[in-house]
Amino acid sequence: MWRVWLWQGVQFVLSLAGAMALASLLVTFSRHTHGFWPFLSVFADTLTNAFKGDFGNSILNGQSALRTVSLQIPATLQLMGAGALIAFVVGIPLGIFLSASRMLRAAAPLMQIVAAAPVFCAALALIWLSVHMLHWSAPWQTNAMAGSAAASGGAWQDMLRGLALPALTVGVAGIACVQVALRRKAAVTLAAPYRVGLRMMGLSAFEIDLRYVLPALLGALMASLGEIALALFSASAVAEWVFNRQGAAVLFLKSSASQDWTVAALVLLIFAAIKLLADFIGAAATRLLVPADAAT
Amino acid sequence: MSSAAATRDDVRAPVLRTVIRATGLAGLGLIAVIVALSDVIARAPAGASGLAPALQPPMIGFPFGTDGTGRDVWSETVHALALSVPNAVLAAAITIVLGAVAGFVAARLPRRSGGVLRAVMGVLGAVPVLLLAIAAIGVAGPQFAVIAAGFAAAPAAFNRSFDRAMALAHSHYAEFARTTGIPGTTLLRRDLVYEIRGNFVSVAARALASVAIALSTISFLGFGAVAPHRDLGAMIAGARGQYLDAWWIAAFPALALAFFILFARLAAALEEGEPP
Repeated sequence: MWRVWLWQGVQFVLSLAGAMALASLLVTFSRHTHGFWPFLSVFADTLTNAFKGDFGNSILNGQSALRTVSLQIPATLQLMGAGALIAFVVGIPLGIFLSASRMLRAAAPLMQIVAAAPVFCAALALIWLSVHMLHWSAPWQTNAMAGSAAASGGAWQDMLRGLALPALTVGVAGIACVQVALRRKAAVTLAAPYRVGLRMMGLSAFEIDLRYVLPALLGALMASLGEIALALFSASAVAEWVFNRQGAAVLFLKSSASQDWTVAALVLLIFAAIKLLADFIGAAATRLLVPADAAT
Repeated sequence: MSSAAATRDDVRAPVLRTVIRATGLAGLGLIAVIVALSDVIARAPAGASGLAPALQPPMIGFPFGTDGTGRDVWSETVHALALSVPNAVLAAAITIVLGAVAGFVAARLPRRSGGVLRAVMGVLGAVPVLLLAIAAIGVAGPQFAVIAAGFAAAPAAFNRSFDRAMALAHSHYAEFARTTGIPGTTLLRRDLVYEIRGNFVSVAARALASVAIALSTISFLGFGAVAPHRDLGAMIAGARGQYLDAWWIAAFPALALAFFILFARLAAALEEGEPP
């Protein structure tokens, strides 16, 4: 058993090193070196410095890339955290409900009519609804109004509004991911022959679901943590852009647009590291919850 | 769930699944026809402004209304769809070749080289498709947006395909075939043929949906199609400033995009319990 854990740990560390190499490669490409050996030399230098924690300086503000990104990453993590909360609170019951019977599962693709809308369309729709139904101001008007709102004591309301719509946008992307993960596993688990055998042995359907099906579904959810993290990252980038929020995801977009690759590569590295960590935690949790599934 | 109900469901679910898949394919076919006849269907050339007063709501003569410069939103949506769909098809083709097919072949390479490739793709797959594509566009330039989107979506397809091919390679029939002396290349060829025959539509439609989302988002964020060529993402981005007062200038292109993605997802049968 310990060998499996050790191997997973080694895989995680190697993947992190790979992500660091990818970020260094991106920075090296942007240096426009001529010839293979100069390219390799710059890449090796960049990678070595990255391992030492030196990611270079931003070409835009001259500050350390690490400092520039560290100022923006909490806002993105806050947004992702709120989105993940919505995703799990809504996505888990939804996924379990849609897994309740085979007919419901087969009809569930109708959900895709909603899920097919890209995140930016969902964000724009939410803004439209909030402006016309709730009489909120559009995000691009909020900054201009923030001063007067603070003076009238409405700052916390604006803050709440400022987080609610982006979090909902990110959450919707997460919900789609969570319920799909649950339904995919449910399709296999609910059709497993052992359920019939256990019923014949005298266990009630509730007991079987509680002791065998629920852990399997939770295991599937844990195994999909990395995929969910990816969905949340992409949605965060769009949400920050649409809702004028300052965060690491939108920093990546701006850095890419202005060719500030030290900053962009560092953001990519952090996102990749979080995804790999989510994969690692998910695999470990799956192994604990359903060892048979993890083995396959 | 009673056994009788389970049996009924066992019969109905595959039928419903087939209907859903057929709906998706029919929808994609309809979109292909619209794209092929876009110059006939559209009432005005792409970008033609001043056809009517600005920001007119949907009405007879202008079923999708007009935008801020008096362009016919119906014509603009058809032209944007005619740009978005071929771009997505090209990007999906890149994803299929670099992802699905390469992953299948890589799984049959000598153990170490296949494993190294899988590990590299695993690292690339740890970066969101959207951000990887934007990074590639930043390095290569916006004219390579389609290639970048196809390249960025490839790691996920590669990994799925690799894992599936590995499972096939370690199946009982494969072990039996090897012990009877059938060479690995023959096995690979046979599996690839069966894979393409059985799963190509699903894999292709899945890739199409994935790159359509990525490409439209890239354009919406300003990294993709550049003026005067507007795809659906760029069209929606252009409507952002005025859509709160004139919903139709964003709603119709967004619906066109959503239907395109929806049909691709239905054709892939993406959410039916079994990944293709």
